[in-house]
Amino acid sequence: MNPAILESEEVLTTNAASILSAGPVSPEQAEAWEKFTALPMPVRTDEAWRFANVKDLDLGGYVPAQPVDDATRDELLTRSMGLASIAGRMVFANDQLLVQETLGDSLRQKGVIWLPLDQAAAENPELFRKHFMREEAILGGQKFAALHASQVRAGTFLYVPRGVEIDLPIEAFHWEHGANGSVFPHTLIIAEDMAKVTLIDYYESAVPDAPALACAVNDLWLGAGASVTYVCVQNWSRKAHSFQLNSTVVGRDAHSKSLFAQLGGRHVRSESISHLRGQGGRSDMLAVTVAEGAQEVDARTFQIHEVPNTQSDLLYKNSLDDTARTIFAGLIRVDPGAHRTDAYQKVRNLLLSDEAEANSAPGLEIEADDVRCTHGATSGQIEQEELFYLLSRGIPKKDAQRLIVFGFLNEVIERLGNEPVQEKLRELVRARFSE
Amino acid sequence: MRESRGAPNYEMQMSSLSIKNLHVSIGDKEIIRGLTLEIPKGEVHAIMGPNGSGKSTLSKAIGGHPDYIVTGGEVLLDGDDILGLDPDARARKGLFLAFQYPMEIPGVSNANFLRAALNARQPEGEEIEATEFYAQMYAEMDKLEMARTFTARSVNEGFSGGEKKRNEILQMAMLKPAYAVLDETDSGLDIDALRIVSAGVNALRGPNLGILLITHYQRLLDYIVPDVVHVMVEGRIVRSGGKELALELEERGYDFIKDDITEPSLA
Amino acid sequence: MSTATENQIDIDRTRGDFSYPESHTFDAGTGLTKGTVDYISKVKGEAEWIREFRHRALEIFRSKPMPTHWASKDLENIVFENIRYYLANGQKPTRSWDDVPDDVKRTFERLGIPEQERKFLAGVEAQFDSEAVYSNIKAAVGEQGVIFCGSTEGLREHPEIFRKWFGKVIPTGDNKFSALNSAVFSGGSFIYVPPGVKVKHPLQAYFRINAENFGQFERTLIIADEGSEVMYMEGCTAPKFETATLHSAVVELVALKGAKIQYVTVQNWSANVFNLVTKRAIAHEEAEVKWIDCNIGSRLTMKYPGVVLKGRKARGEVISIALASDGQHQDTGAKMIHAAAETTSNIVSKSISVGTGRSTYRGLVHIPKHLKGCKNNTECDALLINSQSRTDTYPAITVRGTGNSSQHEASVSQISAEQIFYMQQRGLTEAQAMSLSVNGFVNDLVRQFPMEYSVELKRLIDLEMEGSVG
Repeated sequence: MNPAILESEEVLTTNAASILSAGPVSPEQAEAWEKFTALPMPVRTDEAWRFANVKDLDLGGYVPAQPVDDATRDELLTRSMGLASIAGRMVFANDQLLVQETLGDSLRQKGVIWLPLDQAAAENPELFRKHFMREEAILGGQKFAALHASQVRAGTFLYVPRGVEIDLPIEAFHWEHGANGSVFPHTLIIAEDMAKVTLIDYYESAVPDAPALACAVNDLWLGAGASVTYVCVQNWSRKAHSFQLNSTVVGRDAHSKSLFAQLGGRHVRSESISHLRGQGGRSDMLAVTVAEGAQEVDARTFQIHEVPNTQSDLLYKNSLDDTARTIFAGLIRVDPGAHRTDAYQKVRNLLLSDEAEANSAPGLEIEADDVRCTHGATSGQIEQEELFYLLSRGIPKKDAQRLIVFGFLNEVIERLGNEPVQEKLRELVRARFSE
Repeated sequence: MRESRGAPNYEMQMSSLSIKNLHVSIGDKEIIRGLTLEIPKGEVHAIMGPNGSGKSTLSKAIGGHPDYIVTGGEVLLDGDDILGLDPDARARKGLFLAFQYPMEIPGVSNANFLRAALNARQPEGEEIEATEFYAQMYAEMDKLEMARTFTARSVNEGFSGGEKKRNEILQMAMLKPAYAVLDETDSGLDIDALRIVSAGVNALRGPNLGILLITHYQRLLDYIVPDVVHVMVEGRIVRSGGKELALELEERGYDFIKDDITEPSLA
Repeated sequence: MSTATENQIDIDRTRGDFSYPESHTFDAGTGLTKGTVDYISKVKGEAEWIREFRHRALEIFRSKPMPTHWASKDLENIVFENIRYYLANGQKPTRSWDDVPDDVKRTFERLGIPEQERKFLAGVEAQFDSEAVYSNIKAAVGEQGVIFCGSTEGLREHPEIFRKWFGKVIPTGDNKFSALNSAVFSGGSFIYVPPGVKVKHPLQAYFRINAENFGQFERTLIIADEGSEVMYMEGCTAPKFETATLHSAVVELVALKGAKIQYVTVQNWSANVFNLVTKRAIAHEEAEVKWIDCNIGSRLTMKYPGVVLKGRKARGEVISIALASDGQHQDTGAKMIHAAAETTSNIVSKSISVGTGRSTYRGLVHIPKHLKGCKNNTECDALLINSQSRTDTYPAITVRGTGNSSQHEASVSQISAEQIFYMQQRGLTEAQAMSLSVNGFVNDLVRQFPMEYSVELKRLIDLEMEGSVG
């Protein structure tokens, strides 16, 4: 048995592959580990963890995930069902690369780099270091960012050069397999000026109810006029701790769209930050959550308008059943001088049971006067009239409810503007309902 | 033929709104490029011109909007140059702009707004009498077929296009300007609203008011018949004539004038 | 200024900015120790239980950290050792202005209080530093059994009512400043309205700080018995001193079944005052509590009036206007705790930030499980006047279960240059246009203030907006 991650430094040295240096443990990883151990665990009184059940964050007992055997490998590959038409695909299991279906030659010739993280670090060290975990986790997840940095072994690196447009989506599957395992998927997308790309991450557990720890980072960087669509479907086991830290840097006239689908996990913490850093930049931040059982889904967001003339638009929707809890704590920040900011933030909670609990804390911090900033938060339940209408058409109550909830979430999905990806998301949400 | 047409006689005509060789820029771009025009008190002049000819820029520049930079020329109101004045001082000297897109002012009722505007015209420390004010306002509102409830509503907030324009004319009636610039007053009006608004303007015509109508379409001029019609192209007046000029424009479009222009004859 | 407005309640900062030389018979000295607390208790001739209550509060105050992990760091600039906690002349509040010492009377006359009383109030209490100097209630109101007096008097004369509710709505340990108040409280109002009695005219209290380096810690308790109705208004001013002054009140309201309480505050402290106030109400079945709160002055105000909706169909409301001028921070908001079914709450907050002013809204809405038919509606609108102005909005909403609903909306806007131009074109000066727009922004809320206040409020806003343009 391997030592538990949080209990021994030995764990670090057992990670054979180190992505930052030839040696087993890079100085950066050692430093990150030190930082991780030095930082305190969140406590109830931390504003950044308000409403969160911090007592549930005990990570003792998790071990590094082991490579999967061949039979498992085959099984997981068959189960990696993505879109019909894609530009490329990688599948990982327990942070080991299983398969890489590379992009067509033409894209490679145009200079597109699409590599497993370790290979990218080795082959393009400068580019890698320039962007790898450059944005601080500032929403409370510093400790988990350090954990990720110390443990990360696998993930995807996507570099799209100036002016290159990739029409079809690229997919990455990250499987977690085995009991008490831990995975640390990483996604890094760099879209240079006028580049365009769509990437979908699927986080999946092989066994739906095995305890697991997942601590993922996904960072997007958009140059001038770039367009990036990023979708992440989190569907870890119902007993997983899931941490997910996202940062998006939006350059001049660039347009980022991200959608997080939170379907799995027991205790889910998601932090998403958009830095509007170039004039004319825009970020659409979307999320749908299906929370059931005893799930807690805790989303923290930050829309930082650093320069004038930028836009951000956030829409998070949660459906809550059983004793599920959701937390949405978001902040729009307009820096001094960031005039003509247009920022919007909306969270909507649909409560389906008497024990479910939705917490909302949408925030604004505005230090420029020529702005348009609005936020809203609503919590409610299915309208009786709406339900009755469906029932009167002969639809059974449970189905009618699902239909309404599905419609509620679908409003977010439709904002993506990519029909095949939308259809895939609908399929995954439907599958979640029929469990 | 009227004396005011063509080259005006400045010595003779002090009671006028007179624009001389006006140049106006927005940012780095020059929009009004040496425009000369004189509206004697008591007359109605219309400016017609294709989109982008600078018609709306002219009204904003006369009003003193801070975004419109006057780089040359003069605007004289009864002989006094008003270009150095703040917008409100120009207004108090007797200038009125009817906006193409009247602003909404949330929370400020029409009645309060009008009263504040009228009080701003009173000598220091004096205010207009409330009963007199309401009597006058109701009388003007009746002419414009405006319901009494308008007085309590916030200025232009939630008004239809027609209601907004009627409200502009109501303000004009109440503030009794010496010169009024009506910027695309017909835009957003259906035929009934156009008739009411025009009747309102016609009722205000008289020896003490000079009116500059800015419009893209001839149809407004069927209702408010101008004394003089000017055609504006690329920031200059390129032709002036009687009301029949408007009909000609309507028939033949602006291109026939554009084709005509070799050198701006009246600039 | 028209004569009509001059006769209104004076909350004009420029008129509040004067002070008379002080000579106090009782002065607890500078700093806060157990001895300070004993001194206050002894001077007031309090019962032993109150002294013990104060001692316990002092311990809690000391043990609690400053809430700077979420609140402004400016709190750290309060030096508790430099503050004087009790200043009084030992007189009992009089029933006649003739008996009020001349210098104090002059103060309130300059503030226009006696005149107000004659005109439209059912009763007045005037507090000068730590103690009430005047307290009177119209005979007709008193005959209905309504009690209206200073809290010192209330504790002495009506302990049976006072003690039952004292500290029950806001426990000592609620926050650091409620603990501080509980240790050194003095003054404030005590009101009891018997069942079914509807007090037609407002009861008014006026709080005046006259001394430098002084802390005012009044304690107000209002109990509206079943089916009764009362409106209470408070105004406050202080002269402008170089050093910081602390005002830290605790206000507890109890609305019993079917009762209605309206509590109106117009806070216009001078810009050196830390105004850290805890205000909360309990609304029993079908009761209604409405806080109407206007914050214009002070250096830092932290105040989040709350209603605990304890009985079925109770209703809570907070209507709040904040105006943060240069260097000021108005950190205000509301708390609504839904503890019974079919309770409703409404929060409407409008703030204006001028110059380097900062307005912050903090809201708490809590609808716990197993309740049905609870509704909350929150609207926060912020208006920014200058490019250095700042506004923040930090609501926190928890809803459990089906059958309840909450809705929160907030927006930030500025007065557009086009609006100003439009109004200027009608002949208003830029400053007049600005004032008109700002008044328009708060107009729907100002209308909810009693007439006498709303006129004055508009005038005050005009005053604050002067010189803000450009």
